[in-house]
Amino acid sequence: MSVQDHRAHFHRPAPGIPASQGRPFGATLSPWLRLFAGGVWWIEHAFERARADGRPEEDTRVRIFLVMVVFSVVFSGLAIGAIHSALFADRGAAGRSANPNALERADLVDRNGALLATNIGYYSLYIHPAEVWDRRQAMADIRRAVPRLSANRLRTAMFGDRRALVAQGLTPNERRAIHALALGGVEFEAEDLRAYPLGTSAQHLIGASDTGGVGTSGVELAFNDEIRAAGAAGREFPISIDLRVQGVLENELAAAAIANGSKGAVGIVTNVMTGEVLGMASYPATTTKNQAVSAVYEMGSVFKTFTIAAAVDTGRADMNTMIDASEAFMVGKRAIKDFHATNRVLSLEEVYLHSSNIGTSRLAVGMGGATMRDYFTRFGLLTAAPIELKESARPIRPREWSDTTLASLSFGYGISITPAQMSAAMGALTNGGRYIPLSLRRGGALNRGEGRRVVSEQTSQTMLELMRRNVVRGSGTHADAAGLRVGGKTGSANKLVNGRYDASHAVGTFAAVFPADGPVGTQRYSILILMDEPQTYPRTGGFVAAPAVGNIANRIAPFLGVQRRADAYSTALGDKVPAFQDVEGDGR
Amino acid sequence: MTAGLMFKRVFDWKIRGVRWVEIIGGLLVAVMVLSVYIAKAAAAREGSQISELESQIAENRQRVRLLNAEISRLEQPARLEALSRAAGLGPVTARRQATEAQLPALQAMPQPAVPVPAATVPAAAPADPVGDAKLEGQAL
Repeated sequence: MSVQDHRAHFHRPAPGIPASQGRPFGATLSPWLRLFAGGVWWIEHAFERARADGRPEEDTRVRIFLVMVVFSVVFSGLAIGAIHSALFADRGAAGRSANPNALERADLVDRNGALLATNIGYYSLYIHPAEVWDRRQAMADIRRAVPRLSANRLRTAMFGDRRALVAQGLTPNERRAIHALALGGVEFEAEDLRAYPLGTSAQHLIGASDTGGVGTSGVELAFNDEIRAAGAAGREFPISIDLRVQGVLENELAAAAIANGSKGAVGIVTNVMTGEVLGMASYPATTTKNQAVSAVYEMGSVFKTFTIAAAVDTGRADMNTMIDASEAFMVGKRAIKDFHATNRVLSLEEVYLHSSNIGTSRLAVGMGGATMRDYFTRFGLLTAAPIELKESARPIRPREWSDTTLASLSFGYGISITPAQMSAAMGALTNGGRYIPLSLRRGGALNRGEGRRVVSEQTSQTMLELMRRNVVRGSGTHADAAGLRVGGKTGSANKLVNGRYDASHAVGTFAAVFPADGPVGTQRYSILILMDEPQTYPRTGGFVAAPAVGNIANRIAPFLGVQRRADAYSTALGDKVPAFQDVEGDGR
Repeated sequence: MTAGLMFKRVFDWKIRGVRWVEIIGGLLVAVMVLSVYIAKAAAAREGSQISELESQIAENRQRVRLLNAEISRLEQPARLEALSRAAGLGPVTARRQATEAQLPALQAMPQPAVPVPAATVPAAAPADPVGDAKLEGQAL
């Protein structure tokens, strides 16, 4: 231990530099370092200072005391840290997410909680051949534990020279069975796969998601962010579909399409009051498109409903209006004729029930392009259906609104729309006159409000009555279901093939609502069935689509809580009331 | 004797040159070390049990998900309808449907015209033709 005062050495200038130019070492440092250096110097020289003061024993004590203080502080800090981490640390917090039920994507369920899509944890099996002791024995054991594994892939992996994937999608049981063999070189990797337990049921509607957990089509794409958010919160994500209704719709649609040899078919069931889609199906199952929203069709006479609704709503026609259909209606050089020519003056009801092209053309031309366009816009026939599905296609609209176009539009030619647009428009017509966007969200679209006014409540009631009469004694008799008061309109159109409308390529439609009676605000449901290119004759909607509507209504009514009741036209059991008596004399 | 002196005497109380205070302190430290060791060992054991249970729960949760998916697959409407149709079942017409309230008003099935032959079965197996008829009458 040095007993000298080193101050002189400390200030010794560096060799070769004149003393006058020499600067103290401390002067080259920053003020803080200089202070620190001074402190170190003070401690180092305390011994000498104490001896100079004549108190050498105090010096030792001070040093011991200081050392003890420093050690005590350090150890106290360590002790407090240790106690804190022993008592208060969250065990295993690092390896666990905030919610134990969290999933990448939430389970998709129908409105009653039936499972539509789920995430299932699977395992992939890998083999490190170099670490396997007896390859033949291991192969035999694994094959015995899980017989469905491909022997070829297993052999390739087992006798390969690097780690290889043997199988994906192993269930926890299969994994356990292989794990229990206690073989070396066998590894598992957990993977989360999206599973659709319903197979082809509702497949077009549900859509799909990729292996990265991102929706690629259908509901999976439309509600991607919300499904992921619900998954993170460990909740299910319900959609508006009722699986029972969906099942009936799919089965009846397929049965009808097979019976009449249709190339394709579409069905939609909605709640017209809320816009909720209860079922949506496309036939055949092999088609990749959800034709209910992504395919457009010229739908034919179903459009007469909208033309007549516009005429009634504008006050141009009422139930007592008579329209001359005794001869072809000439629009320029074009003669509009009726499919079932009556050659007489028809009432509005007869125009609708006989599906008179002449009658509706006269009404449309009389209203003019501006009015027709206004009503078609309000019915949502000129824009893509505002449903959440990204596949929702835009309609093919008329380029100009001349009289001949108006005549065509009045009976459903010259405009191609998606079945979803038709379903939403029929909803607006039958729910009291407000356009409610279709929605796959349980409870209906967000912020839908009251919906825009399309037609008055009176017009809505008149059209319901007309639609009911059409099923009782018009073109839609095959759609009747005992006691369910079905109303609706048939539509039959020829398709444009090589620039010509070809009668052998037809589209048959039936747009129905039930129950059609009761005041505004009654809970009603719409059923739309469309048959694409039916092969049986007649190919009209009343024969190819209407029977399916009746069957569907019959089967889904109990699920929807619609009671069978008598109305003015038939009993609760479906027997016709002999003669309709016009008691009020207003023709309704 | 002041408290200070008392304290100093106790403090200076030695046994074989070692202060009692130090011996007691040493013993306390030993007890503390041992108890901390035991507590930590027990906690570690319970911790491993907890994590084992947690992994079991996670595995069971996966199994539940798998079984739910299986239920959903088995109960899908298309399959149920195919099975029902294969078993000869189908939708009934409106005439054959009834609500709960209508049940008492429904007509009973006619009684079988041919009387049941006299019981050849011993009395040990009593037949209840009335009860059977009742059941039949209610079957729709």
